[in-house]
Amino acid sequence: MRGIKQLILTGLTLGVLVLITPSAWAEEPSAESDCKAIITLLNEQNSKFSGDTRRIQREIAALRADLDKPGFKDVVAGIGYILGLFGVAAFVAARRKG
Amino acid sequence: MHISDGVLPVSVTIGGYVVSGMLVAWSARKSASRELPKLAVMTAAFFVASLIHIPLGPTSVHLLIPGLTGAILGPSAFLSIALGLLLQSLLFQFGGLTALGANALMMGLPALVCGWLFQKFKGRSGVRPAVIGGLIGSLGTTMAAIMLSLLLMSGGEDFLGVAKMALAAHLPVIIIEGVVSAFTIGFLIRVKPELLQPFSINSSDSAHE
Repeated sequence: MRGIKQLILTGLTLGVLVLITPSAWAEEPSAESDCKAIITLLNEQNSKFSGDTRRIQREIAALRADLDKPGFKDVVAGIGYILGLFGVAAFVAARRKG
Repeated sequence: MHISDGVLPVSVTIGGYVVSGMLVAWSARKSASRELPKLAVMTAAFFVASLIHIPLGPTSVHLLIPGLTGAILGPSAFLSIALGLLLQSLLFQFGGLTALGANALMMGLPALVCGWLFQKFKGRSGVRPAVIGGLIGSLGTTMAAIMLSLLLMSGGEDFLGVAKMALAAHLPVIIIEGVVSAFTIGFLIRVKPELLQPFSINSSDSAHE
C-alpha cells in the first residue's frame, strides 16, 4: 500500500515539475521585463518620495524660522509690560508727591 | 543690530552692565513724572519699531530709531531704550541677555547724543526741525553702527572691517530712518510742538524708579 502511495506521490510531483518547468522556461524573458518595469516604477516612486521629503524638510525649516520670529502675542506682551512698568512708576511718583 | 551672547569678552560685558546701569539711574533721575506717559509711549514705539521689517533684496532690515527716541525723549531716552532692549531680548530673543548692557550702550549713547544735538540745533519753526530731525534720525543709526564696531573690536574683531560692514548693511536703514524721523518730527512740530521741548526738571518732580 505504502509503496503504491509513494509511487503515486512521486509521479505526481514529477508530473507537476515536468508541467511547471517548461512554462517557467517560457516565462523567463517576460519575468525579466517585469523586473525592469518594477525597477523603473520603484525609481520613479523613489524620486517622487525624495522630492516630497525635500519639500517637507523645507517646510519644517520655514516653520522653525517662523517660530523664531516674535508673534503678535509677544508684541502685545511687551507693550503691556512697558505700559505697566511706567504705570507703576507714575503711581509711585504720584504717591511720593502727594 | 544686536550683540548676541558670548561675542564680547567678560570684562566688556560687565563694564557694559555697570556703565549702562549708571546711565539708567541718571536717566531715571532726569525723567519728570509728568513725562512718564510720553516715556511709556516712546518706549513702546522703540520696542515695536524693530519688528517693522523692510524687505531688501535677499535679506530684510528693520528700523532701530535710536535717533528719534533721543530727539523726543532727551535724557530719558536711555531709560526707555534700556527697558525696550530688555523686553526685546526676553520676548523676541533679539540679542543675548548677558550682552544687554553693551546693547543698551550701543543704542542708548547715540540716543543721548542725538537728543542733545536735536535740542541744540532744532530751531523754532518752518521746515528746519524736520530737516534736523531727519539728519538726527540718520545719525543715530550711524552712531549705533559705529558703537557696534567699537564693542566688537573689544572681542578681537578688526574695527575698520566691522565698521564698514555694519555701515554698509545698515545704509538702507540709515536712509529710511532719516525719512521716518523727518516726517515724525515735522508732524509733531506742527501738531504738538511741546512734545519736542526740552523739559526743565526740578529735583522734587523727578520720578525715581
